[in-house]
Amino acid sequence: MQNLIAFLRRFRVFLFFAILQVICLLSYVQYLSFPKSQFFTSASSIGGEFYSMKYAVAQHFELENSNLKLQKENIYLRKRLIKNLYQVDRNLFKIKDTSFEQQYNYIPASVINSTTGKMNNYFTINIGDMQGVKRGMGVFSSDGVVGIIHNTSKHYSVVKSVLTQDINIDVLIQPIGLYGFLKWDGKDPTRGTISGISNDLRIKKWSKVYTRGGSGIFPKGILVGRVEKLAPVEGKPLWDVVIKFSQDFRSIDRVYVIKNLLIEEQKTLELDVPEDEDKPLI
Amino acid sequence: MKIIGQQIFRFVLFVLLQVFIFNQIEIGLGITLLLCPLYIMLMPFDTNIFVLMGLGFLMGLNVDVMSDTYGLHASSLLLFAYFRPIIFNFFSPRDGYDVLKSPTIFDMGQTWFLYTFGSLLLIYLTWFFIIEIFSFNKIVYLLQKIFLSLIFTYLLSLLLQVFLLRKTQKT
Repeated sequence: MQNLIAFLRRFRVFLFFAILQVICLLSYVQYLSFPKSQFFTSASSIGGEFYSMKYAVAQHFELENSNLKLQKENIYLRKRLIKNLYQVDRNLFKIKDTSFEQQYNYIPASVINSTTGKMNNYFTINIGDMQGVKRGMGVFSSDGVVGIIHNTSKHYSVVKSVLTQDINIDVLIQPIGLYGFLKWDGKDPTRGTISGISNDLRIKKWSKVYTRGGSGIFPKGILVGRVEKLAPVEGKPLWDVVIKFSQDFRSIDRVYVIKNLLIEEQKTLELDVPEDEDKPLI
Repeated sequence: MKIIGQQIFRFVLFVLLQVFIFNQIEIGLGITLLLCPLYIMLMPFDTNIFVLMGLGFLMGLNVDVMSDTYGLHASSLLLFAYFRPIIFNFFSPRDGYDVLKSPTIFDMGQTWFLYTFGSLLLIYLTWFFIIEIFSFNKIVYLLQKIFLSLIFTYLLSLLLQVFLLRKTQKT
């Protein structure tokens, strides 16, 4: 017993250090995979308040740019209004259309905190549970894909952005129709890679990359970026396709959160599929 | 009593500076400006090691909560606090440290500060980026990050001392 006490006294500094260190590392590894403790993130009420104060100041420097962007988008959408179109067939004008059903709804939001220099970058946005945001919803801006909701609180949410290492969004390279998973290597915030593309396929430079919409998080056809170059993988007949993101994440401001109204249906249907290791991770 | 008030003020100031200014600056090339080690460095010479580690842990936790890196800053600041007495012993002057002085560049001189803070910062940044990157495939990128961040963080720490501590301790 005395030996034990002597031992503890002798190494008390190191023991204190080791215990705290284990707590830190455990919580770090855990947060990367399961966001359990909602209170201790930038989505918590105190942190969120601070970041919205910061955003209230910083937003004024971006006003002109974001106005221009919104105006452009308005023109694009206005062109598609019924009253701007010439009606070719005058007899078959339907008022109640049952051949379409709303699948996606969009909630507007602003990014109040973001980083691009770390290995895993999370953005904070100013909407949360009260607006119906849930974990796993997609987020995009008028320029392209941004990320997936990682954690929510009453008024704020944290977005796991495309600039994290295990994001794995399923994307489609048009016009040849190839699909793969989008990844990020942690270095350059303007470029990502698509791995696992067989190297007998010819992919044109600057062909566009869209979301595939397979997992129900993103609708099909949201722009991700353009193919910049093909890098061979050592020892395998595969390309790593390097793409340049269409959204510049360093100046991100306005985003939309995607609410898929049919996701429950798709999920219950997919539960019957036998487990397979090639399934997407999301 | 005065020193406790001063330390609390400094603690809050350093967390706010780190979260709202230096976390928002992104220079590129993997340079990260980390200010928090300077706070632990500037604690008085006779501070208890447990207090040091506790404060490092708390400060790291505060920064982590605000920047969604749960446990990363806390872990590396704890390591910094743990190694501070060891490195201080290693570079101690011939007749020990004067308790009335504080470990700043003005009191202890350029060379002493470069050796102690430089080596502590090297340990701190190595640990920080190893945990952050979490894979040894990117060893060149890791070294680049450590080396560039070391230079920039050291220069920033010098600059901050010039701004914060100009008039203190003229004994």
